[in-house]
Amino acid sequence: MSDVNGKPAEGLMGSERRRLLIQEYGIFIAFLILVVVLSVSNPYFLTAGNISNVLLQTSINGVLAIGMTFVILTRGIDLSVGSVVALAGIVSASFATTSATAAVSGAPYPVFVPIAVGLAVGVACGGVVGAIVSRFAVPAFVATLGMLSAARGLTLIYGNGRPVPALVPEFRWIGTGNILGIPLPVVILAIVFAVSWWVLTRTRFGRYIYAVGGNPHAAKTSGINVTRIRFSVYVISGALAGLAGMILSARTGSALPQAGIAYELDAIAAVVIGGTSLAGGVGRVTGTLIGALIIGVMNNGLDLMGIQSYYQQILKGALIVGAVMLDQKRNQDA
Amino acid sequence: MKKLLLTLAMGTSLLASPVMAQEKLKIGATVYGLNAEFMQIWTSALQQHPAVKAGEVEVTIFDGRYDALVQQEQFNTMITQKYDAILIVPMDVEAAAAPVQAAVDAGIPVVGSNARVNSEVLTAYVGSNDVEAGELEAKAVLDKMGCKGNVVILEGPIGQSGQIQRLEGNQKALAACPDVKVLEQQTGNWSRAEAQTLMENWLTSHPGQINGVIGQNDEMALGAIEAIKAANLKVEDFAIAGVDGVTDAINAVKEGQMASILQDANAQAQGALDIAIKAVKKDYEPQSEIWKQYPQMEWKDGTGKDYLVPWTPVTTENADKLLEARSKL
Repeated sequence: MSDVNGKPAEGLMGSERRRLLIQEYGIFIAFLILVVVLSVSNPYFLTAGNISNVLLQTSINGVLAIGMTFVILTRGIDLSVGSVVALAGIVSASFATTSATAAVSGAPYPVFVPIAVGLAVGVACGGVVGAIVSRFAVPAFVATLGMLSAARGLTLIYGNGRPVPALVPEFRWIGTGNILGIPLPVVILAIVFAVSWWVLTRTRFGRYIYAVGGNPHAAKTSGINVTRIRFSVYVISGALAGLAGMILSARTGSALPQAGIAYELDAIAAVVIGGTSLAGGVGRVTGTLIGALIIGVMNNGLDLMGIQSYYQQILKGALIVGAVMLDQKRNQDA
Repeated sequence: MKKLLLTLAMGTSLLASPVMAQEKLKIGATVYGLNAEFMQIWTSALQQHPAVKAGEVEVTIFDGRYDALVQQEQFNTMITQKYDAILIVPMDVEAAAAPVQAAVDAGIPVVGSNARVNSEVLTAYVGSNDVEAGELEAKAVLDKMGCKGNVVILEGPIGQSGQIQRLEGNQKALAACPDVKVLEQQTGNWSRAEAQTLMENWLTSHPGQINGVIGQNDEMALGAIEAIKAANLKVEDFAIAGVDGVTDAINAVKEGQMASILQDANAQAQGALDIAIKAVKKDYEPQSEIWKQYPQMEWKDGTGKDYLVPWTPVTTENADKLLEARSKL
């Protein structure tokens, strides 16, 4: 439990302490270096417009990755988020469209209806997965792999394989609006981050999540309802995937059945780069946010420099493996 | 989708019955994947073919799930179950050649549709010329720019036949405007969201310099439009074009935001089916309306090798008519 806040143990000698600091804040330092390099090599990188773009482009993956952090902290994994993005996106959109062929009867509804529907779809998918994982002891990898496939199928059936276009402006505002000049998806990400940070570091529920991930048996003997905690993290991840799905369709202007494919991989990458251990119990949502920003900044910077997207994939791969190597070394030293 | 599953189920239950006392032709169609609008329209067009509706032909659709190997296995299934003919919309130009050969060796004629197979033994190919599409759309962009200024190109997945051929067409049109500079050229993988991100970043790195956007499909052109709007720029100040004529693009053309050319999924599907039936039943006359719709595409008694379905530029005048025709499929 001493690792919860990730603070290095106090009272160490100078060099040892510095080494630990680098390991602990390595990802933050890496992020700063990346930003400095890109600022120097491209005149447009550090402009207000581009910073807003990077944050906007990070918002969807950021929201998914924060949900993923809750799951991974309990030693779980959620492979279904990309498909849930598509399902929640298309179902909510059908309540917010003026297209006669794609709408449910009575649409468009006032904007809170599609939002509630989208969140409900996410919660439902997360609830199903959570119940299967926590009550039937099915490995999370398998349960969420099943949902990955099933939710995609449901998306195609629901939309008849076609997009849901013509979303009303109020709904599109989720993706295209701004508050005080800050794009709304970025505001949403900030709120999701703040709430998650508070839950994980300041509440009993948050401490239980770390306890369940750190040592499920000990958590159970100390009276924590492990089943309930495990169930809840998938519901959180599902709800955030639903939210991300709505941001995505609001941004693109249409809910597309092939949306969100492989989004789970970017979300997992952000969590892992951010230093959360796949072994559970260790990690911080701040790290995840930085992990998501690193991926976003890297893609943006390489686009600005006109470098083929194929190289971006290689770099991302190297980054994921590098981050885990750092994590392993930290565990060995501890 | 439900209809498809039903057809699949019916197909298998018929096979299970030992006696097949009808002369209904059994034709299978394997398509690269059913996740996007275009192939959905293609498959429903097949079910709407007069010969299918009259019960002379039974069509079974196989979803290739974006995997050339899955399509190959579906070919094996159709060969062992003795289908009368096969239609293929391949995932990959080269990978489809071997299963096509195997089917032809087993005496089953194969007709290609929508995308090319690198094979000599196809009965025929019914599709549209992607080089022509690339040239037409690039020309629409360059004409609006008055053959001056800078463009960006949003490409399909590198190596797919659509990307290769549409790029060839793009370059043909660009060669006619030597003063136009291509600032960026990247793959958006046919995806609206990916193209939107690319365009956002390009608008940042080339502020005020991009005059035209050549999207190799409509989805990516639509993504670019969203990026332009998000950057508080005027869509009218850009020359933008895409290919395919998807529903959202037809609507965008109506609003004067882009140019698009329609790829006629209905004609590609129904034309291929007519040729496949003819290859099995020698006295067959084509029943689809498309041969009347496109007199320039001659039936040639079903013996031609290449049937090229003409592209239809989407205009403000024909947009409503196209949308209405779409709603029936």
